[in-house]
Amino acid sequence: MNKYYWLIPILPLLGAAFNGLLGKRAGKGVVTVAGLGVVLGSLLLAASAFLTMKALPDHRLVLNYGEWMVTGSMAVPFGLVIDTLSGTMMLVVTGIGFLIHLYSVGYMHEDEGYARFFSYLNLFVFFMLTLVLGSSLPLMFVGWEGVGLCSYLLIGYYFETDFAPQAGLKAFLMNRVGDLGVSMGMLVLFAAFGTLTISDILTQAGHLAPEVGFGVLTFATLMLFVGATGKSAQLPLYLWLPDAMAGPTPVSALIHAATMVTSGIYMICRLAPVFTLTPITMDVVAWVGGATALFAATIGLFQRDIKKVLAYSTVSQLGYMFLGLGAAGFAAGFFHVFTHAWFKALLFLGAGSVITAMHHEQDLFKMGGLKAKTKITFITMVAGTIAIMGFPGTSGFFSKDEILYLAYLKSPALWVIGVIAACCTSFYMWRLMALTFWGEPRDHHAYDHAHESPLSMTLPLMLLALGSLLWGFWGVPEAFGGHFNIGEWLKPALTYGQTHAAHGHHEGPAILLALISTTLGLVFGFLGWSKYKNGPAWELAFAAKFPFVHDLLLNKYYVDEGVELYLLRPIRWFGNVLWKLFDVIIIDGLGVNLPGALARVFGDFTALFQTGRVRNYALSMALGAAILLYVFLK
Amino acid sequence: MTGMDAILHGGLQGYLVVALLLFALGLATVLLRRTLLLQFMGVELMLNAANVALLAFARFHGGDAQAMVFYLFIIAVAACEAAIGLALVIGLYRHRDTTDSDRATSLKQ
Amino acid sequence: MFITFALITLLGALGMLLQKNVVVAGLCMVAAFFGVAGLFVLLANPVAAALQIIVYTGAIMVLVLFVIMMLNSHEEEKAQVSHPVQRWLSVALLAALAFGAVKLVLASGGLKTLAMKGAEVPQAMTLQKVGTALFADHLLGFEVAGLVLLAAMIGAVALTKRNL
Repeated sequence: MNKYYWLIPILPLLGAAFNGLLGKRAGKGVVTVAGLGVVLGSLLLAASAFLTMKALPDHRLVLNYGEWMVTGSMAVPFGLVIDTLSGTMMLVVTGIGFLIHLYSVGYMHEDEGYARFFSYLNLFVFFMLTLVLGSSLPLMFVGWEGVGLCSYLLIGYYFETDFAPQAGLKAFLMNRVGDLGVSMGMLVLFAAFGTLTISDILTQAGHLAPEVGFGVLTFATLMLFVGATGKSAQLPLYLWLPDAMAGPTPVSALIHAATMVTSGIYMICRLAPVFTLTPITMDVVAWVGGATALFAATIGLFQRDIKKVLAYSTVSQLGYMFLGLGAAGFAAGFFHVFTHAWFKALLFLGAGSVITAMHHEQDLFKMGGLKAKTKITFITMVAGTIAIMGFPGTSGFFSKDEILYLAYLKSPALWVIGVIAACCTSFYMWRLMALTFWGEPRDHHAYDHAHESPLSMTLPLMLLALGSLLWGFWGVPEAFGGHFNIGEWLKPALTYGQTHAAHGHHEGPAILLALISTTLGLVFGFLGWSKYKNGPAWELAFAAKFPFVHDLLLNKYYVDEGVELYLLRPIRWFGNVLWKLFDVIIIDGLGVNLPGALARVFGDFTALFQTGRVRNYALSMALGAAILLYVFLK
Repeated sequence: MTGMDAILHGGLQGYLVVALLLFALGLATVLLRRTLLLQFMGVELMLNAANVALLAFARFHGGDAQAMVFYLFIIAVAACEAAIGLALVIGLYRHRDTTDSDRATSLKQ
Repeated sequence: MFITFALITLLGALGMLLQKNVVVAGLCMVAAFFGVAGLFVLLANPVAAALQIIVYTGAIMVLVLFVIMMLNSHEEEKAQVSHPVQRWLSVALLAALAFGAVKLVLASGGLKTLAMKGAEVPQAMTLQKVGTALFADHLLGFEVAGLVLLAAMIGAVALTKRNL
């Protein structure tokens, strides 16, 4: 069976090619079968590969397909590595990916570009799998760039609008800034380790002692983290994610919640042995993650667009993941990636269901009372909400508390930041739920026509809800009597012969901390629900009493405006200068026109000799002959 | 015979000097006078100078008859040139009503 | 004798150069030709002298004078623009040429040797010698010269015909 595993990424690629080139002519039915079929096939093969890998003693399945680039001292192989880390991620991508493909059949049913959508979505799955499974850094980078491309294509899917293509471009350009970091990091890693094959790098790193101070490895890992910042929307490269909501909702669910944005965390987990060697970078990761978590959570408090709330929530949750990684909790961080994929995808798809029910209305202030009309959506979204707020027993509870505990061990201040962000998370999620499902409907026209979504959309919702509630039991921490199984599971992938990279055991006041954070979360969640269950009146009153705070948060701290004013305008001005001064005057004037003018002057000068008079010509001839004579007779 | 002696008493150098000065005067006429016919006469003078030089050398090589043949050919060429050249001058005069060579500047850039 | 003829020649040429009246210039030219003929005689070549007078002065100069008369151009026309560059440059060139040439001739050793070798006056050129050389050794050249003259004649007629 091993020899078919290369199809795991290739099947979606074939699907993308087919849907892209022939989809429009083949019709929606064929596209559906092709688009869903390839992902399902990939999922089944992935499951088989996963089981094969599990049966192996060291839990590593290496599939080599030859040499890719060989030059000088660099030899980059073409291959896939399925170990516990990449295998889990592979199943997440194909599994949740398949559910979202299924959902899209219903959601995109009336759209003209149906084939184009599925082509791009398949292409995304291909690139994401390449990123996850690649055995060498360049191959991972191919996937990295590719998902950025697909993100751009899918955000700008509604290309007739003004806003969507701009948002896509913004996402792509910010990603490119990050990609610079990844490239630099890769190159420095190559310089340091002499190889670009991931397993070789990790093996070598396993034998090194941590760096003291700012050395080569610290620089490399910092650069890689810059790349992660861009891809995973951390401060300061997060601005593209809220704008990315211009794309269709399934895209937001798959790319901007479950998979692509977690690539940054995945990359750091993949290179965990290297990151463990650079404590400075780990500190940076933790603090940036914590700061982002709090920052984004505060913005989410007063957003009116349902998708924007979820977008800022994603940024905030990603911050949590980085916080976990920085606190040396690689397994904890990855656990949160895993649980977040389930409940965030659920929340986005649920929001999509709500939007469809409300006939493409996305303003929370115009919704209300939907719990009577869209029961399945309502129940599943409640499941997702209690998961994200960390209700005891849900998956989010276990993953988030693990991270908060590790944060406390690193620095109590980080724990406080995390808890505040968690309170905000509870508040805005229940605000969202209350405004959408409770109270009197504020837009009667839309409410009257609202109805539950078809099975193709509600089935994924139900499956995702189950996952959000149950997967927590994979990572029950020891303090609560569990074995933190996910830590054990990920150990072979995260440790390459060195000390603890996966954290499991506890020494501090874990239960007390968990008690405090959970209680506060429940309190704020209840507050959020109670203040909004009858509509947005409370918020409007708040805005009247504290306009500064309210507007600041609603307008996302005016960061976009600041960037436009202080960064983009100077750059455009500089570009203008380069154009008017450098290009026109120097290059055109000096480089192009000047030689032309000189040629003309010279030509005019020599034309003076063409008088047309025989005498003059005779004189020239005589002069020439005289000179020749002189030369010959010398 | 040497130097100035030769010049004054008809030695080889004397004839050659005469020939060269004649050539120079012929060239001067071509370069400095504007009338086409006068320029033509200058050309004939230059040819004559060449003839003088030629025959001087011939005499000092013992009266070579080959030089005479050459001399005849030069005269033949001069005659042809005279015929055609004058025909052209007449043609130009008919066209431009002038024999001033400075007025024929159609080739001017 | 040599000096006399030389002076006649050179002064005639000078006169041609400097004369304003074209007809007078032509006559100076004739005088120069006569001088040249005299020089030819001194060079033991009476044949050449005769030919010089018959062909050059008799035919060519007559032709030129005919054309001058026909075109009514005895006065040189007024210059429209003065050309100092041409004048000065030409004078400089000519001076250089003349002085350089004379110096060269006087300094040349080869010429001295040649002069000494052929110092004694040879036998005068006779028409017979010319004829033999021309018709026996250089017959082809003679024929070609004839063709060239024919071509020139036809050309001259063709160029001046008013309607072909």
